Amino acid sequence: MLRVNDLSLRYPNGKLALTDFELTVEPGELVAVLGGNGSGKTTLLRCITRTLRPSAGEIWLDETNLCALEGEKLRRARLALAIIWQHPSLVRRRTVLANVATGALGRHSTLWTTLGGLPASELEPARSYLADVGLADLAEQRAGTLSGGQAQRVSIARALAQRPRVLLADEPVASLDPEAADEIMRLLQRLARSERIAVLCVLHQLDLAYTYADRVVGIRAGRIAFNLPRSQVSREEVRQLYIHEAA
Amino acid sequence: MSLNIARPFGTKPAGSSGWGSAVTIAVRCVLGLLAIAIIFQMLIVVEARPQDLITGVHGMIDLIRRAMPPDFSQLPKAVWPTLQTLDIALFGTIVGVVVAVPLALLAAANVTPSRYAYYAARAIIGFTRAVPDLVWALLFVTAVGLGPFPGGLALGVHSVGMLGRLFAETIEQMDMAPIHALELTGARRIQVFSHGIVPSILPSLLGIGLYRLDENIRSSLVLGFVGAGGIGFQLLSDMNLFQYQDVSLLLIIIFVIVLGAERISAALRERLA
Repeated sequence: MLRVNDLSLRYPNGKLALTDFELTVEPGELVAVLGGNGSGKTTLLRCITRTLRPSAGEIWLDETNLCALEGEKLRRARLALAIIWQHPSLVRRRTVLANVATGALGRHSTLWTTLGGLPASELEPARSYLADVGLADLAEQRAGTLSGGQAQRVSIARALAQRPRVLLADEPVASLDPEAADEIMRLLQRLARSERIAVLCVLHQLDLAYTYADRVVGIRAGRIAFNLPRSQVSREEVRQLYIHEAA
Repeated sequence: MSLNIARPFGTKPAGSSGWGSAVTIAVRCVLGLLAIAIIFQMLIVVEARPQDLITGVHGMIDLIRRAMPPDFSQLPKAVWPTLQTLDIALFGTIVGVVVAVPLALLAAANVTPSRYAYYAARAIIGFTRAVPDLVWALLFVTAVGLGPFPGGLALGVHSVGMLGRLFAETIEQMDMAPIHALELTGARRIQVFSHGIVPSILPSLLGIGLYRLDENIRSSLVLGFVGAGGIGFQLLSDMNLFQYQDVSLLLIIIFVIVLGAERISAALRERLA
């Protein structure tokens, strides 16, 4: 379970990016985060992954407060926290299988993996994660040859290889066509249900949030505007998020 | 039909100001005169005398006549210096790559572990690159004596500078997104390096290394002139002994080596691309 308590982030220039942010994502739940540009969506994910240090508040991953960790302890905690970016961020010259297996590197500290070898025990699971995302037949292909949708599915398989308890997704379908976007969102929903992963997904497409999310969180100027089950979110409330941005 | 091109309010079309165009013409005239002055001083400083070329033709023809035909019976004697030349270049390139890779990692702004390490690595790269390989060879000949070893050392040290700079630039231009993504999976720093950075830059580094080997082969031919062994040393000896037929044989060998190295290096680099 992911729990964010009273999270605030103030940039060095004094701008408040997040204010008193409260959020919980249960295992098996897919929560969509909506908000205009600069509203704090990506900043929230960066705080959770601890690539940004929050000014105040706590981020709990089960019983571990991520804000209290540094160095090796933080690295270990990150094993349970996978993230998918808008752009898949694969090592283009390596094979699809190698890219997926590198998701599990953090659990292995042998000389072989230090020297660039893949952990043998992770290859079969990596193949099965690739099968889960429908790309088993591309395992030996170079990652640089994949289409945008395929590459995004590989990055999801890499995230699965991490065996995370929480999966963060930062606009994972922003650069995909509608069909590929639906496919990725269906996959995230299935993973949340079947693997009992807590999924927090930043989106811009309201329809996708309505179709696939269990809960929708709206952010406006770094604060929570609403946090409701998807059936209770009105289009007007969502529209207000973006009107505020335009103003 | 006339074109009506819109202009932002309050701006004037180019060349509409009389003062502006006069200044532009004056600046161009000054630059033109400056260029002519530079060319003239260059001709004076290098003491360029085209007439000497014409009077020297007779001597050149005499030299070529005495160098023909090349003495192919001396081919076995040229094998060892040829091998020395190639190995000096190989030694220099390997030393250069081995030292330049860690230096480049320190000298690349996006992966360096500290600012001090960055400036120190940049200083070493700058210094080894600024001193020409021929000067390094003279220094090493003084230090370790005549032979191929000082030649190899000279090329090695100079290659550290040349490769270090190119490697660092390659690392700085690398796409960092896969590296950050790998860090966030919980991989250790050394694993991020071996699984993320190395595969991303290895083909470029190999390509640069091959290009350097090609350059080093050409340089190692010249290093022999200052006593650093190889075919250059043989060439100088034969010139001093007026063995021009041997000289022409060595020139043919040099031509074959340079052309062969260039072709092989280009073919390998193409495969890596």
